[in-house]
Amino acid sequence: MNIKRSIVLRVRIAFILVALFAGAIFYRIVHLQFVEGDKWQAKSETLNFQFRQVSATRGNIYAADGSLLATSLPFYRVVLDPLVAKQDVFASGIDSLSFLLSSYYKDKSADSYKRLIKDARSSGKRYVILNRGQIGYQDMQKMSRWPIFRKGRMGGGVIFEKVEKRYRPFNNLASRTVGFVNEDKYGAGIEYSFNEYLEGKNGKALFQRIAGGSWKPVFDAEDIKPDDGFDILTTLDVNIQDVAESALLRQLKEKDAAFGSVIVMEVATGHIKAIANLQKNSGGYGYGENYNFAIGDQGLTEPGSTFKLLSIMALLEEGKINLKDTVDTGNGTYRFYDRNMNDVKIGGYGKITIQEAFEKSSNVGISKLVEEQFGKNPTKFVSYIEKAGLDKPMDFQLRGEGVPYFKKPGEKNWYGTTLPWMSIGYEAKLTPLHTLTLYNAVANNGKMVKPMIVQAVVRGNQIEKRYQTEVLRKSIASNKTIQQMQELLEGVVKNGTAKNVYNKEYKIAGKTGTAQKLIDGRYSQRYYTSFAGYFPADNPKYSAIVVIDSPKGFAAYGGDISAPVFKEIADKIYSQDLELNNKANEDTFVASTSSEGFPYIQAGKVDELQMICNRFGISNHVNGEFTDSFVKSSAQHKAILWRANKTDAPTVPDVAGMSLRDALYVLENKGLRVVYQGKGRVKGQSISPGSTVGTGNVINLVLG
Amino acid sequence: MRQDDLYINKIDWISISIYATLVIIGWFNIYAAVYDEQAAKSIFDFSINSGKQLVWIGTAILLIIVIMVADYRLFENLAIPLYLIFLFFLLITPFFGKEINGQRAWFEIGAFRLQPAEFAKFATALALAKFMERPAFDLSQIKYQGQAIAVIMLPVIFIMLQPDTGTAMVYSSFFIMLYREGMPQSYYALALSFVTISLLSLAIENNLNLAIAVVAVIAIIFLLGKKKLSRGIILGVIGIVVIAYSYSLDYVVSKLPEHQQNRIMVLFNPDIDPLGVGWNVTQSKIAIGSGGFVGKGYLEGTQTKFDFVPEQHTDFIFCTLGEEFGWMGSLVVIVLFCTLLIRLVMLAERQKNRFSRIYGYCVVSILLFHFVINISMTIGLFPVVGIPLPFFSYGGSSLWSFTILLFIFIKLDSHRIQQLSRMG
Repeated sequence: MNIKRSIVLRVRIAFILVALFAGAIFYRIVHLQFVEGDKWQAKSETLNFQFRQVSATRGNIYAADGSLLATSLPFYRVVLDPLVAKQDVFASGIDSLSFLLSSYYKDKSADSYKRLIKDARSSGKRYVILNRGQIGYQDMQKMSRWPIFRKGRMGGGVIFEKVEKRYRPFNNLASRTVGFVNEDKYGAGIEYSFNEYLEGKNGKALFQRIAGGSWKPVFDAEDIKPDDGFDILTTLDVNIQDVAESALLRQLKEKDAAFGSVIVMEVATGHIKAIANLQKNSGGYGYGENYNFAIGDQGLTEPGSTFKLLSIMALLEEGKINLKDTVDTGNGTYRFYDRNMNDVKIGGYGKITIQEAFEKSSNVGISKLVEEQFGKNPTKFVSYIEKAGLDKPMDFQLRGEGVPYFKKPGEKNWYGTTLPWMSIGYEAKLTPLHTLTLYNAVANNGKMVKPMIVQAVVRGNQIEKRYQTEVLRKSIASNKTIQQMQELLEGVVKNGTAKNVYNKEYKIAGKTGTAQKLIDGRYSQRYYTSFAGYFPADNPKYSAIVVIDSPKGFAAYGGDISAPVFKEIADKIYSQDLELNNKANEDTFVASTSSEGFPYIQAGKVDELQMICNRFGISNHVNGEFTDSFVKSSAQHKAILWRANKTDAPTVPDVAGMSLRDALYVLENKGLRVVYQGKGRVKGQSISPGSTVGTGNVINLVLG
Repeated sequence: MRQDDLYINKIDWISISIYATLVIIGWFNIYAAVYDEQAAKSIFDFSINSGKQLVWIGTAILLIIVIMVADYRLFENLAIPLYLIFLFFLLITPFFGKEINGQRAWFEIGAFRLQPAEFAKFATALALAKFMERPAFDLSQIKYQGQAIAVIMLPVIFIMLQPDTGTAMVYSSFFIMLYREGMPQSYYALALSFVTISLLSLAIENNLNLAIAVVAVIAIIFLLGKKKLSRGIILGVIGIVVIAYSYSLDYVVSKLPEHQQNRIMVLFNPDIDPLGVGWNVTQSKIAIGSGGFVGKGYLEGTQTKFDFVPEQHTDFIFCTLGEEFGWMGSLVVIVLFCTLLIRLVMLAERQKNRFSRIYGYCVVSILLFHFVINISMTIGLFPVVGIPLPFFSYGGSSLWSFTILLFIFIKLDSHRIQQLSRMG
């Protein structure tokens, strides 16, 4: 009985429990909907309005000549407030507007667009996203002339919501250096390093939340105006960058190498004119810019023989050797403690001068000299590295600069063999940028300048901040040493490992490097080849470094792999650079020049004149398109511009400035008889150009 | 043929009609929750959730047919093996499951995702019923209490590994069934006072005030009751324990991961962070609160349309109903749920054998728990834990598991006459 009562009680309690919970819930809902209803209603409105940020327009990135490297292009989303248009405007425009929308987006029929807009208008909806797709500025302009839309925001109710996208006019040119920034504000290159200038300050405006989680601006204007970003003016030269990238790419492809980098720098200012980084794509097909090996951590590597320049500098600074002194490199193998130092040439170079040891890049020669000189006091050798500023990052303008690594005497991993191997560029790590800075200093007569890539932060014509060339070391060595180093570097090209880049027109100075790659702690049969140098050697204007990693094939040395790329780049820069050409040709070229400093070439046959100009390396362009083979010339911006000389018109041609040979050919073809006086080029003609004459008439020319 | 008619007549059509009504209302609500005026799609469109739910409903009907034609003895015989199989699945889910929202609670089989913890509920219910069916089983004895609790706790431990706190909490609902089956009342009194003290210590900022209040209450009890010193000491000890507990609870809460901490604290102060942690609940309250007497009309809701309420088609489905059908709509659904639950209690009580009755109470307990906790959380009465509203929420696992859970009981009930009476 008791049990039964207990069970009945418990079941009742269970019933009550269900009822109780249901009652509580029900009470709560009543409370929410009736007692607090207004409060929640009001809350819903305040929560649906919010001050949201209005993005500032991101600044542009320019090359040194003002070419755009990166810019922000506006894209638009088309939204309509269908209640804005007056009835007559709406009625007369809706059909053609629907048709245009349908034929533009091609996603819905004209009818369904019409229905969408009309339904929205009749149900009082004030914000209809016509299409979620984004359109470009040109299309936006076109669309704003469509019916209804053409009445604008206030008359037609169309809203073009702006969205910005980053665009690089030169596509992949220097893409890693120009860089990127993602939404988490992380990135690479200039975009990332100068983000604080580029991004600007976002503004604020009142927005209302609408369907699909979007926000619609309440007013047309912003409440806090966004402050657009600054532009960045770099030191990059689009032409040199192009030359560097294409030369590097060709060689990488040919040698099927893993990656390569090129840096071209202006000697006096440290302005970087080009940085190219190409790496084999992960698919193994083609090359792309994925990492800045020239500057970043992953570019840190044992430099190899290019580092011998520093060793020779240290030796010369000690003052105890002479370049004509000899060193015995023996049979090409020398034993330091437990390790063999080998030369490339089998059988060795024997007894050679120190100059030859450098030119031929003898490992035995250089390391023996360094061991003799500094073996007892390796700290002294290391102090020269410090003196040359190679041991620390240079605080380069781009973030992510690799930190050089050098062992120090007394440290745990400093062995007896460390000094000799360090002297030939092993057991240390440098980025290509560091090595280039050293070579640049030698080219700059000992003055070491800091490489730079951004010269100014600007807005319009106003300069916000200018970056000056920074001098890192007034002189990295004595004048005498620098002079000898320059001689040695020229010698490498004239007699040594880089003979294949020798050029009669102008001199290149530089040093090859080939380092065996350390893979899993062992030196492998893969090589890291490089060439660092400058040109023209007599009066250096540019320095450059080319590195190519893991080339395949028989010849895997710096002289065979990297040096030819250097030469190709140097040749092209040299032929394009008028400043270089003029200086180089001053003595040999014609004295009679025009006011612009050009030879007196005024008119003649276009292909001949072009040939002459090209031969002398004078920049010349054709102005517009023409079929005529005769031209007149004018000078513009240190280049010659060819203009058509209409000799095939039925009128008397203008022969002023032509040589007699050309003038006779042109005039006699017109049926004229030519009489001339004097020597040289045509100064005047008796029948003025453009007049109509019959055949057989006589024309007098004055030459002078 | 006559026998078939008889069988059909014994099926409880009332429960089935309520089930069907809830499933259909749920389906329309899911469509309302995903409905986008700008890109209106048909309710049958398989690219949106309402279309997918239709597939789940169709397959659920298949499951029902399978359950109804199977031999009713099957479930009793399969109880323990099923329980073991699901324990095994739960054990391997944290290792082989697919990670979603930081939980490894899902198995992915082709395009389907199944949540073993959902299905483990009915398996545990069957196992408990099988276990407690023995005539000797007596819940007033500690030994049997321990056995029953062990059967419940085993899956809970495995589910906590995923970790899926919400689903694990559902298992506490079995204590409702245990209460019916004779678990001592004092346990529940103790648990209830613990919950009360916990809530009070979290709600009242100053623990000292709470302590004073507790001491005062105890003092009053002491003064009103028999003024025996020994009783006074016991009450004093309880008072100290309570105070120590309330302080340590604050400490424990402060050590919880921040998101869980906030979910609890937001109950007592919804304005802590209305755009952050409180967002779901605030938006849900706005939706329900702005519904009014008859709601804004089907597909006319604004809160729910604009994706304000996250997880709207699953855990927060109730607020769509509140907004579009208002007070009337909510009332209808609550009444339907209550009717179903009470009907199931009646069915359970009319069972001739202990197995069916215990299983029936398990079904009631689980449904009640889901119903109460889910709706409570949408109206801000309970912290947000991810548990679905039975038959309503979008999702195959939840619809299937509730369908299986319910229909096994309806099947057992339809054979109640044939069941051998084993009542103690």
